[in-house]
Amino acid sequence: MELKFTAIMEATFVSRNSSSHRRFDVIIGTIEDIIMSEEFQIIQRSFMDKYYLQFEDTEENKFIYTDIFQEYGAIIERYLEEQLRLRIPEFSMSKFASSLQAHKDEITDEIFDMFITFTDFIAFKEMFLDYRAEKEGRNVDLMQGLVVHSIAPSHCSVVTTS
Amino acid sequence: MGLLTILKKMKQKEKEVRILMLGLDNAGKTTILKKFIGDDINTISPTLGFNIKTVEHRGFKLNIWDVGGQKSLRSYWRNYFESTDGLVWVVDGADKRRLADCVQELHKLLVEERLAGATLLVFANKQDLPGALSAVEIKEVLDLESIKTHHWSILPCSAVTGQNLLEGIDWMLDDISSRIFTLD
Repeated sequence: MELKFTAIMEATFVSRNSSSHRRFDVIIGTIEDIIMSEEFQIIQRSFMDKYYLQFEDTEENKFIYTDIFQEYGAIIERYLEEQLRLRIPEFSMSKFASSLQAHKDEITDEIFDMFITFTDFIAFKEMFLDYRAEKEGRNVDLMQGLVVHSIAPSHCSVVTTS
Repeated sequence: MGLLTILKKMKQKEKEVRILMLGLDNAGKTTILKKFIGDDINTISPTLGFNIKTVEHRGFKLNIWDVGGQKSLRSYWRNYFESTDGLVWVVDGADKRRLADCVQELHKLLVEERLAGATLLVFANKQDLPGALSAVEIKEVLDLESIKTHHWSILPCSAVTGQNLLEGIDWMLDDISSRIFTLD
């Protein structure tokens, strides 16, 4: 009897200790689910289709990028918050904010990378440039450094690809 | 606080510092930025938008934002105030004709609420040009002594030779880190 009682006590203690962990994991997992959802992908894609032609692969940035970045942040945030409250009725932003401090080290790099285009301008710009390159059929990474050598004699006309 | 603000905080593992560089057009902001990070400075044209460079320096990740300074662009400056730790105000020491404009624009920034906590570094640029005003003279003209709302300093510099660029940024980092990171 006594043994059993201790076991129960321990179990209670453990579950209480990890309940905040679990709550935190559930929120992070839910955010991941939302981001992977088809609806979110559609929102994101239509946003990018609307604006990708504004983005040019130059060092200097246009002021309009900042407006687009802010609009993107606002849309993503509104959708994420709305979905979180829908999927986790007891979700509290302030509790989540304070629990982040305690669970900071448990966040994996993959999750960081997923959030970064929402909050980091440079990553956001890269995302748009990649999207534009893809849309225009330029697969930047593969094409770079690709040299086409002509096997024809040099007096033949040279066909260049670019 | 919104979700993205929270997620952004979570992301910040290293000590990040945001520096905003402003000043009239042709003051040398982009040249200072490029010289500081070791880029080529021979092909710089007037900035019509903004540049961002990220550098690691003394264990800090510096995000330096350089925004175009032409009159028609100055209304955009306010879009870049948020979360600024340090404001670098660049003065063309050889452009005496537009000093009044320069004073006015700086003092407009100093009353901005979103820049309230920022450290102010003034670069008296173009010291390599003959006849450029000294840092002491520019300090007088800008009435820096009257500033009580910001920690400030002024240094003579040359974006072309690189004179004092590092010293200026180091002073700014010391001031910012003594305010922000002392609790670590």
